[in-house]
Amino acid sequence: MSQIMIGDLIPETQLLDSGHLACPGCAAPLAMEMVLKALGPDTIVVLPACCWSIVAGPWPQSSLRVPLYHTAFETGAAVASGIRAALAQRGDHDTNVLAWAGDGGTFDIGLQALSGAAERNEDIIYVCYDNEAYMNTGVQRSSATPWGAWTTTTPAEHPENHPKKDIMAILAAHRIPYAATASVSYPVDLLEKLEKAKSVRGMRFLHILSPCPPGWKTPSESSIRLGRMAVQSKVFPMMEVENGAEWRFTMDHAGDPVEPYIRAQGRFRHLPPEAIRGIQGEVDARWEILEKRVRHGT
Amino acid sequence: MKKVMMGNHAVSWGVSLARAEVVSAYPITPQTQIVEELSEMCSDGRLDARFIKVESEHSAMAACIGASATGARTFTATSSQGLALMHEVLHWAAGGRLPIVMADINRAMAPGWNIWTDQNDSLSQRDTGWIQLYCETNQEVLDTTVQAFKLAEAVDLPVMLILDAFFLSHTSEPVDVPDQDAVDRFLPPRQARFKLDTQDPHAFGALVRPDAYMEMRWHQHQAMDLARTTLDEIAEEWNGEFGRNWPAVESYRAADAELILVTSGTITSTARHVVDQRRDRGERVGLVKVKMFRPFPTDVLRKVLAGPRRVAVLDRNISPGHGGIFAEEIRSALYDLPLDDRPLLFGYVLGLGGRDVTPAVIDDIIEQTRVGARAEREDLWVGVNP
Amino acid sequence: MPESRETKARDIPAVAVSQTSTRVNKTGSWKYIRPRYRDRVAPCNARCPVGIDVEGYMNLVREGRIWEAEDLLLRENPMPAITGRVCDHPCEEACNRQGFDEPVAIHGVERYLGDLILEQPLPDHFKPWRTERIALVGSGPAGLACAYHLNRLGYGVTVFESDAQAGGMLRQGIPGYRLPRTVLDRQIEWFEAQGIEIRCGEGIGDGVDWESLSEFAAVFLATGAHSSRAAGMVDEEGPGVRPGLEFLRDVNRGQIPILGLRVAVIGGGNTAMDCARTARRLGSEVTVVYRRTRAEMPAIAAEIEEAEREGVTFRFLAAPRAALRENGVLTGIACTPMELGPPDDSGRRRPIPSETEQEFLLELDSVLTAIGETPDLGFLPDPLKPRWGTFEVGPLNAVTGESPDLDTAEGPLSGPTMVFAGGDVAEQPRTVAHALGAGKRAALGIDRALHVARGRAPEDWDPAGFTFGPEGNVSITQYRRDDPIRREDPLNEVVEAEDLNPEHFQKVPRHSDWHLRPDDALQDFSEANRGLLPDQALEEAQRCFNCGVCNGCELCLIYCPDFAISRRADGGFTIDMDYCKGCGICAEECPRGAIVMTQEGV
Repeated sequence: MSQIMIGDLIPETQLLDSGHLACPGCAAPLAMEMVLKALGPDTIVVLPACCWSIVAGPWPQSSLRVPLYHTAFETGAAVASGIRAALAQRGDHDTNVLAWAGDGGTFDIGLQALSGAAERNEDIIYVCYDNEAYMNTGVQRSSATPWGAWTTTTPAEHPENHPKKDIMAILAAHRIPYAATASVSYPVDLLEKLEKAKSVRGMRFLHILSPCPPGWKTPSESSIRLGRMAVQSKVFPMMEVENGAEWRFTMDHAGDPVEPYIRAQGRFRHLPPEAIRGIQGEVDARWEILEKRVRHGT
Repeated sequence: MKKVMMGNHAVSWGVSLARAEVVSAYPITPQTQIVEELSEMCSDGRLDARFIKVESEHSAMAACIGASATGARTFTATSSQGLALMHEVLHWAAGGRLPIVMADINRAMAPGWNIWTDQNDSLSQRDTGWIQLYCETNQEVLDTTVQAFKLAEAVDLPVMLILDAFFLSHTSEPVDVPDQDAVDRFLPPRQARFKLDTQDPHAFGALVRPDAYMEMRWHQHQAMDLARTTLDEIAEEWNGEFGRNWPAVESYRAADAELILVTSGTITSTARHVVDQRRDRGERVGLVKVKMFRPFPTDVLRKVLAGPRRVAVLDRNISPGHGGIFAEEIRSALYDLPLDDRPLLFGYVLGLGGRDVTPAVIDDIIEQTRVGARAEREDLWVGVNP
Repeated sequence: MPESRETKARDIPAVAVSQTSTRVNKTGSWKYIRPRYRDRVAPCNARCPVGIDVEGYMNLVREGRIWEAEDLLLRENPMPAITGRVCDHPCEEACNRQGFDEPVAIHGVERYLGDLILEQPLPDHFKPWRTERIALVGSGPAGLACAYHLNRLGYGVTVFESDAQAGGMLRQGIPGYRLPRTVLDRQIEWFEAQGIEIRCGEGIGDGVDWESLSEFAAVFLATGAHSSRAAGMVDEEGPGVRPGLEFLRDVNRGQIPILGLRVAVIGGGNTAMDCARTARRLGSEVTVVYRRTRAEMPAIAAEIEEAEREGVTFRFLAAPRAALRENGVLTGIACTPMELGPPDDSGRRRPIPSETEQEFLLELDSVLTAIGETPDLGFLPDPLKPRWGTFEVGPLNAVTGESPDLDTAEGPLSGPTMVFAGGDVAEQPRTVAHALGAGKRAALGIDRALHVARGRAPEDWDPAGFTFGPEGNVSITQYRRDDPIRREDPLNEVVEAEDLNPEHFQKVPRHSDWHLRPDDALQDFSEANRGLLPDQALEEAQRCFNCGVCNGCELCLIYCPDFAISRRADGGFTIDMDYCKGCGICAEECPRGAIVMTQEGV
């Protein structure tokens, strides 16, 4: 079939309300809604500090129709572990426990708790929605910020000079049952990954790229397109890892040049052509590593 | 059933009797035996609970928060550096009104490394919103552990029960272990007022703006006030059931005393011994044991300390730049007594980092207090030669 | 949020537990532009001379609503089984899909639906409710289309046909291997069943007087172009050289003309291809001689390809100069080699004699000329005859310009006074599709004129309101305002490829028609192109982008970060402006350009 009648493929359940406080064009509410669509109403969400702490609405509001626990920045995986233990102690092994953290809460301050939960193989689903900087505090760099990007702590004269942390490899090294990248630009792929995640017990990790119009300095309507470009240029490949060893690409990647993706974002505006060639080289090199992982496992 | 056990194991037995459902902990000397024993109990089935072996104290408390927010009776234990690491999430537990119970083994803070007792770790957490209960004996430890859950769940506040490193944690004493059925009657399963429930979904802990934040803190403070009377009721009920009374403040031979020692933790037992000796010699010396530090038992202390007498406060802690913390709090509590009723108060900083506080040390303190010309605003450092 | 001074602390909960949804925040107030669903015009619709809602019936087929698709198609096109076979389908050239992979095989879906229609029992008689009757002269596609639409508009219609059988050029010009007679006969039967009276063997001036037509309220002239133009060769008149159309007419009537082995067809249009392929079927070796190159050939590309497959050879850049005969028997033609000069009025490069190449000879037994046909309007009263051979007509095909001067010196011309013309007698491209479009336009024109005559409609009246796009192809559905398709705030603007978001489509190869093997095809006149299998036709409908028209794919709903979009009961979507922040993702992601961002109403 040539037309994706996507409506037929996506559950109608809506678990996230309008009136949330995300910026126009933010991909993070979409990511949450798609994940909750897949998980359903029997889900408890743990929310360490991140943009979503605002998106969820101030007291006495909640934009979620499922229980939500706001918690400290570095505690997402640990609080989720406690919730899972309490549920399990009362015989509830069905309710999904979803830790929902940004890149700061995952790559940086929350990494220790995440590693602990991953190593213990806690029966939780941990989603990192990654907007590639501390956006809620006003765009400061994180270890998920890509090389070359402007942030308020990596000004254009001295942009980010470290490559993005390979969080998937870190999680894979914990030998967790399931880890995957996903994108709101590919909702069906995202839903399939969550179905897969739901079908196994233990620690499941999802890394969702979440374009951020104010932080990336991009027009609000472009978020979905940018997500696609990130995937198709292999900047953010769609893949999954089972048991830390079996790596797979979950779709074909066109291998488009990175330049249009980079040039579409104001945060890279200062980069000269040779820097973009450098990014292309880095993406190509990383792709080779990924292909090796897919061929040989880790 | 009488058993000989260490203070740490008295905690474990208390937790077991209280039927905690989720335990989350990280090892640190001198607390480790508590969770080792709980781990054993969980694995051999004596305790039906989930044990989460987290990677840090911060996560230990975070996991407790998650479990408690889901309605489970939750416990952890720590000490010193570990407690300090938890600091942020202690606020989260208290502000979230989660009745978590935690044992803190009083251990000095580094540097330099020191594993022996003093109270600076727990007192540093004074303003986190946790109820703090300091114990004197292993029996009190076990009994207080069970009571702590009842108190916490009655007022929706977390409770820290505190015992001295080694002097209590690793010291064996005979302990009367109450009957499980009796404990079950005393402490029924937890009924959470709020919890994470997919049948009744709510968000907890969202942004609260200035127009309501203060009211929530006011509620927390009200609950602390309530905890004073609630602890009295619980102690009374326990006394009726099990014949042991552990009040928030114990006044020992102090009613007619010209000189009162004020203590907390294991120093109390040494002081009790000295008081008995002095009384045998006809001296009007008494003892006031402060068990509850938060909420601060202001009214009781004013009652038992008021009068034309001298008071020596023994602080195994120091607030650098100010002084002994109990002494400062008691001075403040007594300040607005009429001048005639205001006792002369002497503060003594002693026993830091596990330095022994012997009967001889307390005898010296009594003598110094007796001859002191006026209330020394500056606390005296006992045993330190400037 | 209550003010603390007025609120009792006890009314605020002890913990920050939620009590309400974020729906209390009308975040729609943040926006400065807003999305709006606006159905626009698919390029296939805009390009279709028949005025078919191609996108509309494709969408209905995709949804499995075949009966509704047939109905929608029949509203505009009286003979989809025929156009599905013989139309050159400009819609496919316009198809936005061609920049993506390949155009949708629209003709295959049309043919599939057309055949389904003809396989069903004949339609009920369409009883006219208007008193006026209309005369149609000529039963080719233009006449039949006009009759069909007038009939459906409530008029009694009579079609006069000079030939013994109805169909006009469909029957006389188009060979049976392209349009099987069974299909044509069934189609005629279908029209007659619906209530169209066709009187064969009754040509005007040949049994019926022009004056006698005055009993009709209006007349539509659609007698076609049946006189072949001469190729302009020296000694063209004579044995061995004959007009191709005449040859086709003979074959189509069942005769088997003697051509000899070596045959040349002169011309590059569809008649030339029909002649060439027909001659092949009669056993001849055929060479098509054309003055320009393949790129300039006006014939349908598929026809050229099929001719090639069937063994027809081509001599391009060759202009026949003279017919050569020995003893009165044709031996061949002398051809002048040509080259392409600057473009002429038609935009094609004009052929000019080559300065370098030498004249050459083709040895032949027969020559068929097919370089164009002209109408034969000798039957008309002189004042009505167009000066330049074809009628100039208005937008709705009323005869205008210099042609009609009904007030002659001898007084008013007797006979009908309301005259319309269309098809090959008018100045318009000579395709079946254009003929059908002309018939429809004339039907609307006649209906409109009669309304004006009845005083029921204003005289100044703009037909733009019922056209698809800028090319003036009219939609009778829009004219009648009884569109069965729900249109969302329609905008008569054609959707270009750059308005679409191709990311949401997958590349799927176009299904090809199934052709008889050339060896088999040349055995007789059975249909050479068997079209698509039913499943293939359905899959082609799935390939349609539905340009400019919301087809309910729900991408907007799924990608709205503010969940402001919801389904309406009628299948469309509503945007809750209380929550739409105006981010523009819906418009950006809409695969088919059916949402626009606007500052209106913000």
